[in-house]
Amino acid sequence: MGMDRREFIKSCSLVAVMGLLFGCRKSAVLGDIASQLSVPELKRFEDEVKLAMSQAKKSLDLVKVPTPGALKIPGASTLNRFGMAIDLDACDGCGKCILACNLENNVPLVPEEDAARGRFMHWVDMRGGAPFMCAHCGNAPCERVCPTGAANHTPDGLSAMMYKRCTGSRFCGANCPVQARKFNFNDAQKLGLARQFNREVPLRDKGVMEKCSLCLHRLQNDRLEFKTSLTVGTAAEEWRGRGVKTACAEACPKNAIVFGNWLDDKSPLVQLTKNRVLYAPCELAALDPSVVFMRGRR
Amino acid sequence: MFRYLMILGLTLFLPGLYALGYSVYQGPSAWMVDSQTFWGTPISLFVFWIGLAHAGTLLSAIFLALDIKLDRRTALIAELSTLVSLVFAGIFPLMHLGVIDNFYMVAPFLDARGNFANVRSPLVWDFCCIAVYALLSLLFFGVHLKSREIPALDKYRKPLAWLLFPLVLWVHTIVSLDFAATFVPQWRGAFFPVYFIAGAILSGLALVNLLICAEGYRVRLLERLQLICTWILCAIWIWDLILKGYFCTSAFIFAGVLPQLRMVSVIREHRLGRIFFSVSILVGLFLERYYLVSPTAASATFGRIDLGLVAFSVGGFMLLFFGIRRYLNRNMEGAGSYFGEVDGTDLAEAEQEEFEKENFTGVRGIQKLRKGFYMQPWSSEEYRILRFPLLVGFAAAVLFSVWVWSQSVFANVDLSIANVIPLLYPIVAVVTAFTLCVRAYFVEKSFDMTRREKTLCVVLLVLAAACLGTFFAGGSSEKSAKVLDSQPIGVDTPVSQNHARLVWNARCATCHGTDGRFNEKFVREFYPVPQKLDLQRLDSLGADSLVKVILNGRNNMNAYAGRLTPEEALGLVNYMRTLAEMLSENAAPESVKEGEK
Repeated sequence: MGMDRREFIKSCSLVAVMGLLFGCRKSAVLGDIASQLSVPELKRFEDEVKLAMSQAKKSLDLVKVPTPGALKIPGASTLNRFGMAIDLDACDGCGKCILACNLENNVPLVPEEDAARGRFMHWVDMRGGAPFMCAHCGNAPCERVCPTGAANHTPDGLSAMMYKRCTGSRFCGANCPVQARKFNFNDAQKLGLARQFNREVPLRDKGVMEKCSLCLHRLQNDRLEFKTSLTVGTAAEEWRGRGVKTACAEACPKNAIVFGNWLDDKSPLVQLTKNRVLYAPCELAALDPSVVFMRGRR
Repeated sequence: MFRYLMILGLTLFLPGLYALGYSVYQGPSAWMVDSQTFWGTPISLFVFWIGLAHAGTLLSAIFLALDIKLDRRTALIAELSTLVSLVFAGIFPLMHLGVIDNFYMVAPFLDARGNFANVRSPLVWDFCCIAVYALLSLLFFGVHLKSREIPALDKYRKPLAWLLFPLVLWVHTIVSLDFAATFVPQWRGAFFPVYFIAGAILSGLALVNLLICAEGYRVRLLERLQLICTWILCAIWIWDLILKGYFCTSAFIFAGVLPQLRMVSVIREHRLGRIFFSVSILVGLFLERYYLVSPTAASATFGRIDLGLVAFSVGGFMLLFFGIRRYLNRNMEGAGSYFGEVDGTDLAEAEQEEFEKENFTGVRGIQKLRKGFYMQPWSSEEYRILRFPLLVGFAAAVLFSVWVWSQSVFANVDLSIANVIPLLYPIVAVVTAFTLCVRAYFVEKSFDMTRREKTLCVVLLVLAAACLGTFFAGGSSEKSAKVLDSQPIGVDTPVSQNHARLVWNARCATCHGTDGRFNEKFVREFYPVPQKLDLQRLDSLGADSLVKVILNGRNNMNAYAGRLTPEEALGLVNYMRTLAEMLSENAAPESVKEGEK
């Protein structure tokens, strides 16, 4: 009855060997191969934006929403909540924001069959003649269903993505009522469809979700600069993200996209939306969106 | 008979295997993906197969727990079909993932970096429930097979059945929550758990009836149950239709209307007729799952890869199931007593008896009045066996809750302990079953294992340990192809201390902390835990290699080559030393004090 010594030692050493073998893994060395491949020309990115613009998507049903306030999630900052407002009176739907976003965030091209089906990777979509992107909902349904926690909320009100933690279950995509999330169906780097215009934003691997990050890297750079310029140890002033603009807001010739901090009275966002009526897509109105539309005077 | 079915399975399986391989290679764009939900055929197939997997547990365990008579071979066939279905139910959600390597991140298990799965997500609950379900089903089948040789084990079957009874309902409720917890309008509805459980029971019954047909006999009880289940499902479908204005018509016809032909005795008494009912129900339920998962599939088409995946699972099931049946028939001693009619319960007789009993008691099949007395539940044998293991199981579940609650993730993210509840029963079940096994091993004197079985146990334990190790170790977050160059950096003029401090606070302090101790709260939440930068470690590494680590990155430390100059990096290394010296000076007096005491 039971296990004799010989068998016990045998099984123990088996476990040990398994552990050792496990430690010997080496991750694939693929990084350099991608960089040697040809990169697509800028012209192709421009053409793709034109193609996407020609396949107009149906417009959103907008409903009035109140001005976004502080986030209600635990750990949220009481000073910062970044967001945007898109001025529908000023916007003429030129689509310059889409291209600017693609170049800023290294959004890859898609193969022709996907383009024909309207499956672009663009973080900014044209819906009913106006740009639309992830609304960074305060009560984001996508984050709630993400099994690994790759989709999460920063204290500053950004709905962020950890690409390395994403396992590609696409649950978040299924739960986004406006389909703002884009899935990397193709290995864009291998197919020569990706180009790193901006060194600060990583290229995404095949099989992960991505979406508008509200130019997180610009905010982070500004925060770091702010912290560096301060004398160490004295918290004289808190960082409010002043002076940062997203790529789409920068590119807009009509200044129809306003980026800022909803909780900062000096922010252009608060000042420009003061006398305007704010709208959001009806699917998102109850989810506390940070990116809203504005139209008409109050 | 089994050989022909296996050959048929093989002809379906081989092209299916190609489809599976291609889909894994190509990723989710290989199969039809719904443009709205990003889901597609694998998830339909997953829901379909997990439904079929309910056959065994439902029929065998629940019937056993409720004292409903089912002969041994039907129970064994049902249990075996559960195990084989679970294999395919497990493959599909895995292959559905975009990054299959990362699947372990779904497990609610702390990894080496302090990452924790988001237990708010139904997918996490799913993962646990199905894993536990597969484990317990395997155990249940094993105990059933062994109990013929070792009668002492027979009394463990009922406790196990009582453990499986809630689990089977639990699993399908959780699967339905994958859908019902979302915002997709077609998936809304509080009736989803009931709907999924009814669908699962129906599909399980259809599968068992089909397999019984292949064995060449029939069980009228199961056929009647199948008919009743179609009525329940029809009611739910009509409810859905009234609520939302649309439903899957083909599913209603195949699984709702056509099986009603069982009321015609000519068809019912013919074997082909019975096969027809089962197949019709299975087809209807598959179409229903397919419709459910991809409500707006109009933009995409059901391609050859999708067909291949269906063929893979159907063919694979036939191959595996009938393969195991053939193997058992040939290689197991007295297979006839397991799968043959030698069981002693001649079915016609049994049904006749049952019919007579029904006339007596009015309750068909339920032997409440066995041996003429009523057993108090708290003094029954299965309760006495189960109570201690169950206590251990509950204790484990409470411990898990407390442990999860103490995770730092919970402090910052809006997670309530209520989200852990779906995980609790599976934990109770798996710990209880494990304790039950240990109890059986030590308490039962007649229980002896052969050498082969012992090896199997060891292998299973090793596999479990390897799984846990994989989950804990996690993957590497940087797939960096950069190699540390062997050339010295050649910098010996660091930037000023003040500059280094500014850079440190801007670039490094987020993880490593302004004082050189790592910023625990931030790091635990988002990043792998960095190395401690104490004086000893810095000395052993040396300034030059530290500069290289800063510039080229290492493990989870990012490369700062483009963002920092080598002079700044060297300045940072010097600053690190200063911080470490300060820390050790601060720490020193305390240790001296302790020494004095």
